[in-house]
Amino acid sequence: MEKMARVTTALGGNTLTGRTMYCHLDAPANAISVCRDAAQVVVAGRNIFKIYAIEEEQFVEKLNLRVGRKPSLNFSCADVVWHQMDENLLATAATNGVVVTWNLGKPSRNKQDQLFTEHKRTVNKVCFHPTEAYMLLSGSQDGYMKCFDLRKKDSVSTFSGQSESVRDVQFSIRDYFTFAATFENGNVQLWDIRRPDRYERMFTAHNGPVFCCDWHPEDRGWLATGGRDKMVKVWDMNTNRAKEIYCVQSIASVARVKWRPECKHHLATCSMMVDHNIYVWDVRRPYIPSAMFEEHRDVTTGIVWRHLHDPYFLLSGSKDSTLYQHIFKDASQPIERANPEGLCYGLFGDLAFAAKESLVTADSNRKPYPGDRRHPIFFKRKLDPTEQFESVSSSALSVFETEPDSSSMGWFVDTARQYALAGRSLAELCDHNAKVAKELSRNQVAQTWTMLRIIYCSPGTMPSANLNHSIGKGSASLPLMNSFNLKDMASGMGSEARLDWSKGENRSENILLDSSTTLITNDENEETEGSDVPADYLLGDVEGDEDELYLMDHENAHTEEPEYVLPQEAFPLRHEIVDNPSGPDHLQDKADSPHVSGNEAETVSLTPVESFSLISISHTLYESRLPPDFFSALVRDMLRFYAEQGDVQMAVSVLIVLGERIRKEIDEQTQEHWYTSYIDLLQRFRLWNISNQVIKLSTCRAITCLNQASTTLHVNCSNCKRPMSNKGWICDRCRQCASTCAVCHHVVKGLFVWCQGCSHGGHLQHILKWLESSTHCPAGCGHLCEYT
Amino acid sequence: MFVARSIAADHKDLIHDVSFDFHGRRMATCSSDQSVKVWDKSESGDWHCTASWKTHSGSVWRVTWAHPEFGQVLASCSFDRTAAVWEEIVGESNDKLRGQSHWVKRTTLVDSRTSVTDVKFAPKHMGLMLATCSADGVVRIYEAPDVMNLSQWSLQHEISCKLSCSCISWNPSSSRAHSPMIAVGSDDSSPNVSAKVQIYEYNENTRKYAKAESLMTVTDPVHDISFAPNLGRSFHILAVATKDVRIFTLKPVRKELTSSGGPTKFEIHIVAQFDNHNSQVWRVSWNITGTVLASSGDDGCVRLWKANYMDNWKCTGILKGNGSPVNGSSSQQAISNASLGSNNPNLQNSLNGSSASRKHS
Repeated sequence: MEKMARVTTALGGNTLTGRTMYCHLDAPANAISVCRDAAQVVVAGRNIFKIYAIEEEQFVEKLNLRVGRKPSLNFSCADVVWHQMDENLLATAATNGVVVTWNLGKPSRNKQDQLFTEHKRTVNKVCFHPTEAYMLLSGSQDGYMKCFDLRKKDSVSTFSGQSESVRDVQFSIRDYFTFAATFENGNVQLWDIRRPDRYERMFTAHNGPVFCCDWHPEDRGWLATGGRDKMVKVWDMNTNRAKEIYCVQSIASVARVKWRPECKHHLATCSMMVDHNIYVWDVRRPYIPSAMFEEHRDVTTGIVWRHLHDPYFLLSGSKDSTLYQHIFKDASQPIERANPEGLCYGLFGDLAFAAKESLVTADSNRKPYPGDRRHPIFFKRKLDPTEQFESVSSSALSVFETEPDSSSMGWFVDTARQYALAGRSLAELCDHNAKVAKELSRNQVAQTWTMLRIIYCSPGTMPSANLNHSIGKGSASLPLMNSFNLKDMASGMGSEARLDWSKGENRSENILLDSSTTLITNDENEETEGSDVPADYLLGDVEGDEDELYLMDHENAHTEEPEYVLPQEAFPLRHEIVDNPSGPDHLQDKADSPHVSGNEAETVSLTPVESFSLISISHTLYESRLPPDFFSALVRDMLRFYAEQGDVQMAVSVLIVLGERIRKEIDEQTQEHWYTSYIDLLQRFRLWNISNQVIKLSTCRAITCLNQASTTLHVNCSNCKRPMSNKGWICDRCRQCASTCAVCHHVVKGLFVWCQGCSHGGHLQHILKWLESSTHCPAGCGHLCEYT
Repeated sequence: MFVARSIAADHKDLIHDVSFDFHGRRMATCSSDQSVKVWDKSESGDWHCTASWKTHSGSVWRVTWAHPEFGQVLASCSFDRTAAVWEEIVGESNDKLRGQSHWVKRTTLVDSRTSVTDVKFAPKHMGLMLATCSADGVVRIYEAPDVMNLSQWSLQHEISCKLSCSCISWNPSSSRAHSPMIAVGSDDSSPNVSAKVQIYEYNENTRKYAKAESLMTVTDPVHDISFAPNLGRSFHILAVATKDVRIFTLKPVRKELTSSGGPTKFEIHIVAQFDNHNSQVWRVSWNITGTVLASSGDDGCVRLWKANYMDNWKCTGILKGNGSPVNGSSSQQAISNASLGSNNPNLQNSLNGSSASRKHS
């Protein structure tokens, strides 16, 4: 009585005190139970049965109940319960099926009081009646529940669940005669202790075993159940049918559930395997635990609130042989760690933003940031159980869209579409691109293009010939030389001349070399490439011509339509068979390297290019034919600048347009990096054609091979419908020309369109024309072809 | 300039992440209600939920898209200690008729013993790789050796960071000069542990990830971290969401100067630091060119940051979460919607790749 008084005062003084603490047990615990004075706890397990006093700073072992020379199985406990009215009375469920009661008031060392050996298998649970001193209930693996009167030798009544093992039994706190039992088959039964013949009510609560249940300490109708299906369900038993009112989804099977004192909607759970943590849930927010205790290193087997009316102290025992006192202040709160916002930048500058509603609706005069969110002060406030818990949280999702016309990436798409990268003379390309940039009011970029044009195309000799990308090579600004001479000289002084192209560091030499030398270098280079693939070179030339004419017409007419997209694709595509375009150059590089040292002597007296600024280059310098290479350092730096600014588009476009003029100035790896970045961007915007064009025009081997990798076309013969193994036009099985046009009966070289239904087809134009007038296959097979 | 389009997400609890796909046409959201939703943009610009399904048995922290080359693939990670990979199934079904698509789980990654806090696909050029980080401080890198088989993932690397991890970011650079790199942020709240951002780099010789750098100046819990799209830059830009927004640049010191074989050394500069959110910053996200940073904080606002030609980062816009005007009094840089409008040309201009003012440089 004296002890009780003390505790009451303690609670009247508003708290239990203590800290998060633990003690090592000798063996894994199976269950724990607390004395009603909240000052002692009993720990029971297969090899342990001890009482600890809970002191301010530590647990102190008070009593070992496992006594005797050879401990009997009666000491091996599956469950333990301390009577909530009689401080001296304990009951255990032994693993051998015996229910044992213990009287701490006994003077002898062995406190064992009574032994009930009625169950045939393990007893899973024992439970004292909350108000009746002598009434004890047990539930066993054998499927029976028994009610004992401790004044009698045998059970007073036996209840048969008529189903599988009983996992838990709990007296209702409010209804004197009622108890709940949970079963391995997922059922929950309600019994009246006066009627052992049949249950009052039964319902299926879970999918799989129901491991535990707990009556709400205040709300008489509420029963919480936990099962292997990882769910905790709260049932309202007041109605005729048990109604599920809350369902909490945990991450592992639920082994124990305990309502939190003084907090109507809170309950604590622990799990049977995998998960060693103890969670405290607000059932109204069923997805995320409001608190979490992570101390245990093995499965938590028993949890109990230290005092009936104190929500801050939780005791737990575990298979890791520790006994813990958890203090709420030290709990981790997943909600606090949880990110309340999501934010993502879209492609066109649109922003998706999801935020906790309370954050976005909060008035703007909210208090300033008070320091770390997990500051202890916050905890105290947050965890005040009387405070209405933020039960339902939801987020507001919105997308901030840029207005279509002001789309912040529109410039990129427009630029990519409208830039001309090849197919015309350098000057025209520059002019065109400058115009494009200007129209998109990107003045700096426009300026850059104009400068490039001035640098690389001398104003006097405006290009009139077909100097497209692949053959321009800077010769525009220089007098043409006889090709015979070129060839002769190529062998003679090739090595020396090529030096100019070899390395970025050597760029400044060019100002010493006279222009004719440079010229030779250029043209020689070009010639070498040309002679490697003469046929293709020729074809390319012709095609370039066509392009040229076509484009020139546009230019001259000053057509209203400012963008002509991908001029090359206006013509039937002809795959350029270039096995390894950068191969020869690469070899040249290598061949050059030995010569570099030899030429070093000539280059020592160089004036550093850096001393010239772009502005200081006056017009007269052009007149004196300053070789364009003079500027390459500047241009290189300019490209780098654009790349560093995130405008890789400019870097790559200039790289392509200038081609050989600048390529050697920038190391292959950087170029490759720019190309891959730009291609990735283009693909993001689904500018497939442009990305393909860029790949095609690139001079990096790693890039050009992107187009050649993993593209396989499987072709079947349209006659015999079997796969064509060889590459020719004739099917080797039926000896027929495979890809003849169904309309004109000529072999189709170029774009071949065919029906996937009947495999007939032909020239795109022919088929289109045909399908305008007829819906049937032109081959007469009767198939209804469709061109979409 | 910005029009707020509010979407009835209908998630039953907090949304923790939103993510656009590679092309910006699809969006995924994940929530504590254990579900992921996929949204598709219609021609008219509306977002329609085309899939919603339960993904985990705990809060879903993050959702992320794989490069479309690997199919329509999502990865999610959760409080339930797992990460999962999902693939959209194309086929004839009743779902199709209702405008719903079907997602199937391809794999569950169960190596973590604690909450998996972030999941990110590696840049495409590295193949089909996935990194996760967990609350117990382990970063795991998985690889699907066969890109056609999304159900087979092998755990390639386990990096122990010693600190509870909250976020990761791959360096997106496709340059061969930059080895694969991953930045890890920690939300460990103990003040005595410094350097809440660690950067790990893949070493070709040892075939392992090794710590390259720690950002010693970041000592507060980090909630989000993000490398800017690289786009041909020689250096890297890293944004960190902690109690303020911070932007770092990492310039690789040339390999020749460092001892060969060791991790790359970086010159690290903090180029910007903003406490305008006046509170915890939760998210940072870069625009596609890595020129504008968006951040969101406890004040419920999204702020946009951009560097001018002097490389001074400035706030160029504030967006209120519910689309309402921002009250100018809350901070000196706050701009009401009206003045945001006048601010637009600025932003617009500067977004055009290079600001006009830079012409003089």
